[in-house]
Amino acid sequence: MQKKLIAKSLAASLALTLVAGVNTVPASAADKELVVWADETRGPNLTKTLAAKSDWVSGYKITVKAFSSFDALKEAVDKSTDLTGPDIILGANDWVPTGAKNGKLAPITLPASVKARFTANQLFDLSYKGNLYGVPLDINNVGMVYNENLVKNAPKTLGEMVSYYKANKDKKGLAAGLCIAGGGTSWGAHSVLSALGGSAYRMKNGAVDTTKDPINPAELAKNIKTYLLDANGKSNGFFPATDTGCKDNYLAGKVPFAIIGNWEWQDYMAEGFQMNLMPVPGVKAGTSGTMFASVSGAMLTSFAAKRGVEAGAKDLLINFFASTAGAVAYQAIELRPPAEKGAQTKVEFTAQQNFGKAASKAGIPQIGAILNGAAGSKSYWDLLPAFWTAVLVNGKDPQTEATKMNGFFVKNVAEGVKDL
Amino acid sequence: MLEKVKHNAAKVLKYLFVALTSALLLMLIQSAFAKKEYEIGAFLVLALIAILVTYFSNVSIPLKFFLPGLLFLLAFVVGPILYTVVMSTFQYQTGNYISKPEAIERVRALGVAPDEAGTTFDVVIGKYNNQIAILASDPINKKYSINTLTENIELAVNVVSLDENGVAKEAPDFSPSNTAEIAALDREISNIRFKYSGDYFISLQGTSVGAVARQVLDYDKNQDKFTNLINGNQYIDNGKGNFVNKNDSEEVLQPGWRSPIWFSHYIDLIKDKNVRSPLISVFIWTVVFASLTVLTTFALGLLIAVAMSKPIRGRRVYRSIFILPYAMPSIMSILIWGGMFNTEFGAINTLFGTNIAWFQSATFARVAVILVNLWLGFPYFYLISSGAMQAIPSELSEAAAIDGATPRQIFYKITLPLLLKIVSPLLIASFAFNFNNFNLIYLLTGGGPRNELDGQIAGATDILISYTYKIAFGSNVQDLGFASAISVIIFLIVASISLYGVKKSKVLDSFS
Repeated sequence: MQKKLIAKSLAASLALTLVAGVNTVPASAADKELVVWADETRGPNLTKTLAAKSDWVSGYKITVKAFSSFDALKEAVDKSTDLTGPDIILGANDWVPTGAKNGKLAPITLPASVKARFTANQLFDLSYKGNLYGVPLDINNVGMVYNENLVKNAPKTLGEMVSYYKANKDKKGLAAGLCIAGGGTSWGAHSVLSALGGSAYRMKNGAVDTTKDPINPAELAKNIKTYLLDANGKSNGFFPATDTGCKDNYLAGKVPFAIIGNWEWQDYMAEGFQMNLMPVPGVKAGTSGTMFASVSGAMLTSFAAKRGVEAGAKDLLINFFASTAGAVAYQAIELRPPAEKGAQTKVEFTAQQNFGKAASKAGIPQIGAILNGAAGSKSYWDLLPAFWTAVLVNGKDPQTEATKMNGFFVKNVAEGVKDL
Repeated sequence: MLEKVKHNAAKVLKYLFVALTSALLLMLIQSAFAKKEYEIGAFLVLALIAILVTYFSNVSIPLKFFLPGLLFLLAFVVGPILYTVVMSTFQYQTGNYISKPEAIERVRALGVAPDEAGTTFDVVIGKYNNQIAILASDPINKKYSINTLTENIELAVNVVSLDENGVAKEAPDFSPSNTAEIAALDREISNIRFKYSGDYFISLQGTSVGAVARQVLDYDKNQDKFTNLINGNQYIDNGKGNFVNKNDSEEVLQPGWRSPIWFSHYIDLIKDKNVRSPLISVFIWTVVFASLTVLTTFALGLLIAVAMSKPIRGRRVYRSIFILPYAMPSIMSILIWGGMFNTEFGAINTLFGTNIAWFQSATFARVAVILVNLWLGFPYFYLISSGAMQAIPSELSEAAAIDGATPRQIFYKITLPLLLKIVSPLLIASFAFNFNNFNLIYLLTGGGPRNELDGQIAGATDILISYTYKIAFGSNVQDLGFASAISVIIFLIVASISLYGVKKSKVLDSFS
């Protein structure tokens, strides 16, 4: 009796395993499926684009997996293996060095005719040690908008903006003069730092200029004292050290100038605001602060080759992501400024075009190898917010703090250029 | 008769349980081996054998009860500890994730350079004399060729059929493959190097583009080194998971691999000033934080338990209210408290009419951390103390009262010592938990405040685990090996303190 029961239970367990196993066997390479991973907005929008027209690559089925957030996508990419990972990732340009170092990304060689559809900066953004790892998808940048109900004409200098704020602060109940609504007080605020005379690194002829310090502490301190501080060395309220409440205040008409991200322009237009986008004006007329104009990319993984779909994945990159038709179709739903030159003039909304123009006028490449703290644990992302807090909240001496920040920037530039 | 039915039913249930467990394990074993997770697969096989032997024989009756717990203990406690210890002896960081054979394969794949002109061709994939081949077109210069693995056959423009863009679609003896055939051959064609000129070959970039390139880095398996075929530079294994230039150790080939470096991380912990100095201050604050948390939460919990032990009006309502902070998800509570401590908009400053920058000052941030943890932790000790006090025989206090002891004396001389005897293991567990209370620090203060511009790495409220997280994941280089080494140190500290506490309190004496 007992032996029979044992035999039966073992048989049952085997049967159950087989039934369960049917659903767990990985898809075979013969299916020729191209898997694309994307975040919570790009994923669903790409799915819709491909549903409308799916024959970008003949002989392959394209599957898009959307993650719940950009961070969730990044985490999944970090943990991916050749058995679980995708063939193409839609991600940030600063994922390229890490992905290449970890052997997760694979290079692609584009024909000259395809390269010509992008700027050198955009291709540089997706390159590491001379190899290109994907094709540019959309531009990530910020732009300054001004409330035309408060300010009639586009400002020409930072001083003009400060004067307006001081004259109308009490009269119109302004919460600030210029604030960061999108991109935070490090990424989004680079154009403010730059308008005041500083920078994370200097660019010269399309390359990082290591001969010049990113910041001249005396000049930056002088400009901060002139434009951001009052006679007692306290913040004059024109530029807050935090981005909290900026968007709401701008939409409520309490802030005349705001720096917004190119992913959120619809929120402003929905409230009746114009997309009069421009870079932050500098202290002298005709100058402006530079902004990070990085690209998101469609990146090729090394998993594609292991799964036997590398040729198909490269076709998808060239025929869809790097083509005018593909970029127009995708950005008609995604609504970001496309990186592809032909699509930039063909996208539907002015805001998409104007963000692209602002990036062309005052954009600098976002070089993760320098910004992420190549010389140690001090990254640009931590240092600039700390600088604003020290100077605008804690009332510390701008020149002393600028000197400290410049010291870290110089070291990061020196180390970072070795890893380009 | 009824007994026999019950006996057989129990047996059937047992066999059903074992069958279902075996089925689940077999499925997981298959999945683990399919995903090349051999260590996990091997453990699951051993677990399956242990289950079958234990439940289908009478080798040990107690084991039938202990086995599930034992297996979970091995899988989720012992396994991760061993893995962390092993990883602490490896170079395991960004750039050193994969195995050495995989790294060699990737370095070879990346060790290819395009020709100076960046020549590319429009190509059609097909067969030439039954060999796989490409029909390559340079429409601008009107150059056409058929390229096989061994031949580059140039074609005159008048022998090929061109499309409207001047790209050759057909040629003599060349039969194009259809899209389905090409897709089926993807793995093969992606790796083919079609003959071009000299060292140069054409590699496919998709199914319709070919790029001219040559191999620059060559791997010598016997000598385990890479050689740059252009300038002769040699790259040798540096013993730390990378091939480096023999004459310039700064020049490293990427990617590297996970490589054993034994105790290097532990030596760095002692030698590297940047790590050692903050580590000491962080350790001191961690001990203070964990101790103060246990002390304050236990004191408040006990105080309320004593108060609630008296017959007061609305006691049930009060009890429910006191348990609420414990019932609410701690993550939500921490985030709400974070908002309440906000300098400009927070309820705390508004209510008290103050303007304290709670998270900008080291002292205030630490006070805020302790206060929030007190809110989160006191209901637990209130519940524990309430239960434990009921277990203390009331005759003891009654006898003491008859002997003339005051209520305070009864509490300090009888109730508290007996209570401590009961709750000591929980106090130790609470200390160990708070020693690693990552959520609170990460969500409330992020470890701050820290003055980045003065070069501070650790923040004023960073505890060891949040500091470890910063080292492991806080920058562009994720140093998992180094973080594992710090985790091992934390484990040893917590284990030692807990062991000492357990020994001192003699809480395990009753089991011996």
